[in-house]
Amino acid sequence: MNSLKVLSIILIAFTIFAGITVPMAPQPQSIFEFPDIPGLGETARIIFFHVPAAWVSVLGFLISLYFGFKYLRTKEYNYDIKSVSAAGLGMLFCVLAMVTGSLWAKFAWGSFWNWDPRETSIFILLLIYGAYFALRSALGSDEIRARLSAVYAILAGLTAPFFIFIMPRVIGGLHPGAEGDSSGSIPIAQLKMPLNMYIVFFTGLVGFTLLFIWLLNVRIRAVSVEHQLLIKDQ
Amino acid sequence: MSEFLSQNQLYIVLIVTLFIWIGIVLYLVRLDRKISRLEEQFKED
Amino acid sequence: MNYLFAIWAIVAKDVRSELRLRYALNALLMFVVTSLAVIIIAFQDSELNPEILSALFWIVIFFTAMSGLSRIFVSEEERGTILVLQLVASPSAVYFGKLIFNCGLTLLLSSAVTLLYVIVFPTFVIQSLVIFVCTVFLGSLGFASASTMIAAIIAKAQAKSTLYTVLAFPVLAPLLITVIYATALSIQGDIWSNSIPQFQIMIGYLCVVVGFSFLMFDYVWKD
Repeated sequence: MNSLKVLSIILIAFTIFAGITVPMAPQPQSIFEFPDIPGLGETARIIFFHVPAAWVSVLGFLISLYFGFKYLRTKEYNYDIKSVSAAGLGMLFCVLAMVTGSLWAKFAWGSFWNWDPRETSIFILLLIYGAYFALRSALGSDEIRARLSAVYAILAGLTAPFFIFIMPRVIGGLHPGAEGDSSGSIPIAQLKMPLNMYIVFFTGLVGFTLLFIWLLNVRIRAVSVEHQLLIKDQ
Repeated sequence: MSEFLSQNQLYIVLIVTLFIWIGIVLYLVRLDRKISRLEEQFKED
Repeated sequence: MNYLFAIWAIVAKDVRSELRLRYALNALLMFVVTSLAVIIIAFQDSELNPEILSALFWIVIFFTAMSGLSRIFVSEEERGTILVLQLVASPSAVYFGKLIFNCGLTLLLSSAVTLLYVIVFPTFVIQSLVIFVCTVFLGSLGFASASTMIAAIIAKAQAKSTLYTVLAFPVLAPLLITVIYATALSIQGDIWSNSIPQFQIMIGYLCVVVGFSFLMFDYVWKD
């Protein structure tokens, strides 16, 4: 566990360093230069942080789905704790992805928010999980709350990949990768990035994932300790 | 001084970002240790 | 055979109790009339293009559904008849019975709104009747199925009505967007093949929601 934490610190520090300082040049001469994409320029650096945030958010929601499913199978309260913690982190990174995305949008397209299909879908995802927390706060008993939020976590977790991966590719829009974008729908999977950029990007992805695992671990332990305190007092 | 700052803007951004990241890491480590201490307390009971 | 009979019995019970007291029907009707009145007053002489008309159409249906459709389970909770239902029928029979009732209610609601719209708005001339009818039919079914599941989930919560709207909107949002777009197409008189992607989404939505609800209803219903 500790090695994961140290590794995530190092990887993200590297991503920050490389992502910001490696210069962009029209015709990259060495591995220490990124290609300059016309129209994007320096703002392309956001890809190192915005995409991992969105990926970690989906990861959180899928993990929340998994633990919700485990709770319904075994009725162990610990699984409910894990499910909420994952959903909370998913929300956090969803907000981060939205904020970084709208900052980038200001530079790329002129305004912070455009109701482009991808922006709209991530907003709806935010609402879905906001509703999840509203549901939890409206239910009194531990057991009922755990059961109903597990059901909802499964429903919401099923919609998350749909909103993030499918919908923005099918409906045309501004965001890179939508229908009608000439550069192809999955620039990352198709290795359209040059190798050095790909390395930094992948490092960031792994670093953020490890960070997520660390955050999840800390959060679950905090909620568990809190719950144990409550039980002890009774 | 201001010339130096305007010329090396990129590195200023980098240092600020790294500072923020170090701050987050230190907070996380502190939190982690606090929770470990609490958990040990429970184990003892 | 028993299963089908159970479903039918639940539908019949709900229809009968509804006709007796008309709580839901009255609330829905009043809501439709009031929102329509507000719209008429607001848009008195302005020209309403297809997109606006279509959006208004579904907004009225959406909010009316939000005010009325949660009653399907909340009324059981309030009257204390949940235990009886749990004993008498299997969970999926309860689910399908409630679903069919809600579908009927929503179809009634959307027909009423359509009628009123045709009367009130001279520009609401539907040029592709087939697209319109299919959209309203599938859209109403989609609304009803999502609403039924969410009503079951919030039945035991506090602050039911606000929670219901908060939960229902994000779940219904994809359907709402699709249906508004398709209705706008039908008012403009578009050809059938252009709206096929929308129908794919509507049917897909129905299948996913009903399938998911059918699988998960046991966990929501039983303690």
